[in-house]
Amino acid sequence: MSGLSARSLAKGSAPPGPVPEGLIRVYSMRFCPFAKRTLLVLKAKGIRHEVININLKNKPEWFFKKNPSGVVPVLENSKGQLICESAITCEYLDEAYPGKKLLPEDPYEKACQKMVFELFSKVPSLVTSFIRRQNKEDCADLKEDLQKEFSKLEEVLTNKKTTFFGGNSLSMIDYLIWPWLERLEVLELNECVDHAPKLKLWMAAMRKDPAVSALLIDVKAHKGFIDLYLQNSPEACDYGL
Amino acid sequence: MPGDGTKALAKGSCAPGPVPEGLIRIYSMRFCPYSHRTRLVLRAKGIRHEIININLKNKPEWFFSKHPFGQIPVLETSQCQLIYESVIACEYLDDAYPGRKLYPCDPYERARQKMLLELFCKVPQLTKECLVALRCRRECADLKIALRQEFCNLEKILDYENTTFFGGDCISMIDYLLWPWFERLDVYGIADCVSHTPGLRLWIAAMKQDATVRALLTDKCVFQGYLSLYFRNSPSAFDYGLC
Repeated sequence: MSGLSARSLAKGSAPPGPVPEGLIRVYSMRFCPFAKRTLLVLKAKGIRHEVININLKNKPEWFFKKNPSGVVPVLENSKGQLICESAITCEYLDEAYPGKKLLPEDPYEKACQKMVFELFSKVPSLVTSFIRRQNKEDCADLKEDLQKEFSKLEEVLTNKKTTFFGGNSLSMIDYLIWPWLERLEVLELNECVDHAPKLKLWMAAMRKDPAVSALLIDVKAHKGFIDLYLQNSPEACDYGL
Repeated sequence: MPGDGTKALAKGSCAPGPVPEGLIRIYSMRFCPYSHRTRLVLRAKGIRHEIININLKNKPEWFFSKHPFGQIPVLETSQCQLIYESVIACEYLDDAYPGRKLYPCDPYERARQKMLLELFCKVPQLTKECLVALRCRRECADLKIALRQEFCNLEKILDYENTTFFGGDCISMIDYLLWPWFERLDVYGIADCVSHTPGLRLWIAAMKQDATVRALLTDKCVFQGYLSLYFRNSPSAFDYGLC
């Protein structure tokens, strides 16, 4: 898809023109797990889109008109409508576009996916805290906290007796959770799922999904990005290009 | 209020039986703003329901089988399905029941309402902190400034959209999701936090005209009685005002 591996736009860049008819645009960043959610849904549903990467360490002024908080992902359609917040963008795409529905039609099953999403909600900030922790030797508390959160997810899979969080097929909730589980390897946090065998099986099953495998980030590039990002380098977002 | 007027069940109480066919049950508490959201939706959609109030300071053991941390609101269907988190419960009701849809049909308009809810997300915690500070006779000037700022953000939306309600000219889901905290501003002692947001004041006035909002409005004296007992850690706080 156009733009996925393009250099990010930074301060001083010209604002992009309107979104062409028949396309939807996502403002993204190659290593952002939140934006990854939206990219996964776009891919899984086969939605024609263009990607504009944003330099999150040196944001273009015009980007704040797309999202006042200046974060990715943001969707922009050809009508100029803007949608922010990763989970909201994913749901919007599922509703607005035809083809395979990622969220269940059944109201209770849909509610269950949202309840699992709530169960997962502490993981992103724990992972961010871990990344930012200077002394990696001193992370026992964070690892323990993460393990606890993963236990909750393990319990869901145990109770449901299915491969995926929404049943025997991959669905929205799996895509919403995946980007953080993908990062465990590059962060050397695989031990946090050691006690969660069903979660490990789920991770292996996810890697076989066409959308997931098409968007997998190379571990070396990911590591390079994280190192530069922690140094606040404006080159971080384009690492590997 | 039929159904609302039942004493809160506490530790040692018997677990309620299954939910009868044709009804949905809500585990609630008469003064909880989160449960209030769900009760508003039940009412607005005319959904037949029964209410079981929970004593939040002395929770029944059986309630933890309805919610892992014993939180309200929780919906229980006659098929023993449990749904929790107030926003999830409200969306479930809108999806599962016929009649008037509270969320718009258009995907972008739906997304807009969800983005508005995000914009509102700091308000519940801030109003609670103001309440606690005032009740404990502590300073809360900084909290009120922060709350005012949040209200300013909401005011901008009303200004920009130039509609009576947050979703347009008719009341819709987003209005019901926000309402419980605005109804409580007066009784919490922070009504002055909307002194500089005229659009929001007009919205409050319009909300008070809505039949559903009015049907569930809690009497100010009853609310104050509850708050006094709650802050004295009285176990009978939750039943204040019931005969």
